[in-house]
Amino acid sequence: MPELEDLTPEMKAAIGAEVGPPAVWEVTTQGIRTFARAVGYTNPVYYDAAAARAKGHRDLLAPPGFYGMPIYDPAGPANESNSSGADWENVFPRRLNGGTEVIPEQDVYAGDILEARTRVTSLALRASRMGQMLVREAETVYTRTSDGAIVGRIVNTGLRY
Amino acid sequence: MTQLTWDDVAEGQEISIVEETPSQRLVIWAAASGDFYQIHYDDSIANENKLPGIIVHGALKGMLVGRLLDEWIGDEGRIVRWGVSYRAMDRARLPITVWGRVTRKYEDGGRALLDLDVGVKQQDGTTETTPGTATVELPRRA
Repeated sequence: MPELEDLTPEMKAAIGAEVGPPAVWEVTTQGIRTFARAVGYTNPVYYDAAAARAKGHRDLLAPPGFYGMPIYDPAGPANESNSSGADWENVFPRRLNGGTEVIPEQDVYAGDILEARTRVTSLALRASRMGQMLVREAETVYTRTSDGAIVGRIVNTGLRY
Repeated sequence: MTQLTWDDVAEGQEISIVEETPSQRLVIWAAASGDFYQIHYDDSIANENKLPGIIVHGALKGMLVGRLLDEWIGDEGRIVRWGVSYRAMDRARLPITVWGRVTRKYEDGGRALLDLDVGVKQQDGTTETTPGTATVELPRRA
């Protein structure tokens, strides 16, 4: 891959732009329980709707940072290659996760329908011991579609190299 | 369990959990997160990507910090925000310590808040891979 002197025009144009169309999905009981198990939660409010209601929740509660996940499109491209992403970022074939910030705003429950909008907030080139890296910061805002309330935000820093 | 209150906490207080990272857990995380990148479960593909072997998902480490905070603050506490940087890789199959330390105890607009430094440490005790910060809100003692 070429060492870039500066961000390409395509990269500069991507800053501030939304990434793809907004995604809409349902937060499912199965999704909540799988996430809770993977992270190692034992609190029953994340596994048992009755336990959650006994604590004053309206349904099975999602652990902090869980906003459901996109529904897989069986006809879409397999999201398993090293180079998934826009053409301008696939200039760098490999990727790593650089950081996560979670700003919870409201509790999320099973059955909530959320809309996620992701926007690139910054791009920068950086030298690293694995070669030049493209550092991409993006903010995803999760909105509950039933009333338009923002339930949380995640800022992700992605590294391409 | 008794609900932790803001009044119970002092600046400098430390919390931590030790977590195992077998490959099976990373596969469960892949299913939970939808991140099926093979560097987290296929050593040969990790090697092709200049890595020494499969590594723990950054996002899983970030969410383990969330769990540390969530379990500490209890049902009546609230996480205002937390954020971490994945500065170094944690090789899978080795235990990690997820930790927090209260750096500031204060009130703001009637809310009883705590700021913390947070992170993930490898078991050699020296390598800090995932530094970050957090803010939580706790109830006051009745």
